[in-house]
Amino acid sequence: MKICAILRLVPDLVEEIEVEENEIIPFRYMPNERDEHAVEEAIILKEKTGAEVEVIGIADSENEADLDEGLGMAAAKGADKLYKVVLDRPTYKRCEIAKALADFLSDKNYDLILTGIQAIDSYAGNLGGILARYMDLPYIGGVVEVNVSNGNTIVKKELGGGLLAEYKLPLPAVVSVVSAERPLKFVPFTKLRQAMKKANIEEVELELPEIEGVEVLKYEVPPEPEITLIEGDVEEVADKLIEALKELSIL
Amino acid sequence: MKVLVFGEVVDGTIQNITYELVACAKKLGEYLTLVTSDADVSSIDGRVIKVNAGETNPWHYKIVEKVIERENPDLILFGNTSSSVDIASQLSAKLPVATSVYEVSAENGEVIVKSLSYGGKIIVELKLTTPAIAVVNVGSYNAEDGKGTASVEEIEIDELGVRDGIEFLGYIKPEEEDVDISKAEVVVSVGRGIGDETNIEMAEELAELLGGVVAGSRPIIDQGWLPKTRQVGRSGKTVTGKLYLALGISGATEHVEGVKAKNVIAVNTDKTAPIFRVSRLGIVADVNELLPTLVDKIREIKEG
Amino acid sequence: MDVEEMLETYFERINEIPNSDKFIQCIQCGTCGGSCPYGMGTLFTPRRMILAVRAGIVDEVLQSGAQWLCTSCFTCSLRCPSQIPITDAVIPALRELSLLEGNPPEELAAALMNITRYGNSFRESPRKRDRWIKEVDFEVPLISKKKKAEYLFITECFGAYHRRCKEITKAFAKLMDLLGTDYAILGNEERCIGDLVRLCGEFGLFEDLAEKNIRVFEKYEFSKIVTHDAHAYNALLREYPRFGFKKEVVHHTQFLYNNLEKLKEMFGKLDYTVTYHDSCYVGRRNGIYEEPRAVIKAIPGVKFVEMKRIKENALCCGGGGGGVWLDSFIKDHIKERPAESRVKEAASVGADVLVTACTLDVPMFEDALKVTGLEGQLEVKDISEIILEAIENS
Ligand SMILES: Cc1cc2nc3c(=O)[nH]c(=O)nc-3n(C[C@H](O)[C@H](O)[C@H](O)COP(=O)(O)OP(=O)(O)OC[C@H]3O[C@@H](n4cnc5c(N)ncnc54)[C@H](O)[C@@H]3O)c2cc1C
Repeated sequence: MKICAILRLVPDLVEEIEVEENEIIPFRYMPNERDEHAVEEAIILKEKTGAEVEVIGIADSENEADLDEGLGMAAAKGADKLYKVVLDRPTYKRCEIAKALADFLSDKNYDLILTGIQAIDSYAGNLGGILARYMDLPYIGGVVEVNVSNGNTIVKKELGGGLLAEYKLPLPAVVSVVSAERPLKFVPFTKLRQAMKKANIEEVELELPEIEGVEVLKYEVPPEPEITLIEGDVEEVADKLIEALKELSIL
Repeated sequence: MKVLVFGEVVDGTIQNITYELVACAKKLGEYLTLVTSDADVSSIDGRVIKVNAGETNPWHYKIVEKVIERENPDLILFGNTSSSVDIASQLSAKLPVATSVYEVSAENGEVIVKSLSYGGKIIVELKLTTPAIAVVNVGSYNAEDGKGTASVEEIEIDELGVRDGIEFLGYIKPEEEDVDISKAEVVVSVGRGIGDETNIEMAEELAELLGGVVAGSRPIIDQGWLPKTRQVGRSGKTVTGKLYLALGISGATEHVEGVKAKNVIAVNTDKTAPIFRVSRLGIVADVNELLPTLVDKIREIKEG
Repeated sequence: MDVEEMLETYFERINEIPNSDKFIQCIQCGTCGGSCPYGMGTLFTPRRMILAVRAGIVDEVLQSGAQWLCTSCFTCSLRCPSQIPITDAVIPALRELSLLEGNPPEELAAALMNITRYGNSFRESPRKRDRWIKEVDFEVPLISKKKKAEYLFITECFGAYHRRCKEITKAFAKLMDLLGTDYAILGNEERCIGDLVRLCGEFGLFEDLAEKNIRVFEKYEFSKIVTHDAHAYNALLREYPRFGFKKEVVHHTQFLYNNLEKLKEMFGKLDYTVTYHDSCYVGRRNGIYEEPRAVIKAIPGVKFVEMKRIKENALCCGGGGGGVWLDSFIKDHIKERPAESRVKEAASVGADVLVTACTLDVPMFEDALKVTGLEGQLEVKDISEIILEAIENS
């Protein structure tokens, strides 16, 4: 069995992001956390079934260096092969990435393609489902556990409020992971560095197709919520608190 | 503009998000709702198409495709929830999509949406060419506005000629202690200011009314008043949901390290408590006086 | 890893650490376990860890988690009749095996990951490390602007980011300002010095931090480093020379002592009963006992009292050796945290103020005051804070 996990970069929110009306300029990038869980789940499947695991890192020419840590991490955890896919331009449209990726993956014969369920920069689509359609494969997302047997995968999907459901999909399939079955494995620095040195990384450049239909009009920073401090008698403050809960649509 | 709402059913029940989406659709023009599982749909306001294709399943996107062909909507609305996203995501291979949307409007036949992205740090305004898909965050519209009387048309699944690829095997219900505070949208959290173990019940009641869960600072867990799984902070869990309501918590660094919720509201008797520095709303009050009043008032709202 | 590989890796590491050849001289006396603040919490006290390694059952030690029940307080190492470097070698090397297996306690893993990525454990932007200087009413010089200073002041991560510890940083900077000291900080060029990282067994990361920090030090002209962070002091003094760093390192207690005559002129009166906590890496590890005491006693009005466990026998705050990132793990194994026992001891000798000299102590003890109900009765202050208070009272 051959599995791949997709590892895409997103802006690192610990650092401030410069926001201009038609552009955002992150200070640096890091792997999408959900994708890291997809990689972890792939490694878990390798432990369970002996599957071969390939990790496909996706970056563009502007942030490609930030991908090395994530790929090194995957190698240190046991990924057998790594790809560094460099897109010819940045794009926020997930369908463009999915299309390019679908072509790239078409002859790789993966039995299972894992992605993270979403990313902090998903405002124009989520990768997994789109990729599945371009590849004409069955798809499920929101997954917290993956097992394979007899040409099928059985997954646990989270439905909210702690409720899970189990589904069976024929392989090959695309599965989007929310969180892996176990916490992300720790990789000490030395091991990471060694893995990065030894890692077998194949670099690939991909041309993105242009797909119309979505256009960003502007980016803006939401107004800093002002810290309001309220005092008063209990009735009054209770009413104000309720108002705030209504504003947040919690009530 | 014609809008198609994807109604979400989980375990035989119409989910609240459906009404929220109907409330959104109403503002945009003509609309109808599609439901693909068996459930009581009678209180969805307006036209409803019901196709009973079994429990919620990602392959239901094929049903939506058929209904799109038949109804030609300009916009299809989905909830930003686990099962709806599976479907929206597959359909967006063909249609323009915006995700994490909190506001939808229509202008000259085009869809304009606002999306809260980058962990709530950046608003992205997008224009979509119709027909398009918007995946709308829970809580963006008022569910009450989407409730009313349904006029239901039922379609047999066989009539649509779509096949099933994925098998639903069954639900796995959570056990009581399984509550994962790091994933909860609303967390009511108690600290030493709560005073007494008996007051935790009141916090639990509040959490239930708000559809959330109870968590606490370390001293509360140390005392054994709440289980270890409910500890927020460096040596506990990180909360990331929509609201963190901190009751009688001072806001020590070790605690605040675990507070990454989009909104923090804090109640504390001490005006200078550091928790207020990370809050959008600070209430200077005695929790033990405030809680009973608050619970009463909210119960009234919920019941009335 | 199988046990063979584990043992091989273990000895490879141990052999790099000075004096670890003493390992074979362990006479199994049990002084270490008897001295350990967590000795009651585990079957594998240091003595039995060594025994387990000898017996080739190192995997059993790892499974028990005992390697994480160590605050690196150095009591065992100091008392060990065979002078085995337990704190610097025996335990960190076991911890390293755990890290290589990929499953350290989660809170610790998060802290180490944050240090790797951001150079601090708080998951804060390295570009905000100097934010504290905007919160003070005097100018804190940056070495990048000043280029040259007598003292380079290292704030370390807690001193730069932790809400409470930042107050200590500010107090000490203020004292240097008042004394007219020629000092400067690295600001955003500073990153984690890494003593806790080393004691946690993340040797690779520690080396990387040391090399990067030294490269930054080399850019500027200064003659000494001063720091209020006891672990930074320890690492700069004892570990960084291995990587080529050779400058004098001064702990802020020493700095204050050296400036005592000048400080005395500025002192007002304080009406406190004060006791002093010997932080492990100021006292036991590095022998600074008298300087802080002399400084505190010089404050007019202060009544100085000693606790029972002092100097080389002082009880640890529990924060060292990664204890600040192992709280849940430790609490699962012991009844009372050492900090709780320590603040009770301070209260029992009638102190109003517990003075410490290590940034980690203050949050540890303040938290312990809450747990023990001593809040309001006892206050915790860093030595620079009480000095500043004495000056401001004049
Ligand atoms: C290594 C380490 C790890 C730690 N990890 C964690 C962790 O993961 N999570 C965590 O929470 N803590 C952690 N702590 C403890 C942390 O430092 C604080 O001690 C703790 O968070 C304080 O909890 P608290 O806010 O409930 O209590 P307090 O700090 O005592 O605050 C109580 C607050 O309630 C207010 N109050 C009192 N009475 C009332 C009233 N009637 N109405 C309203 N307000 C009132 C007070 O003004 C005060 O602000 C850790 C500490 C250490 C040293």
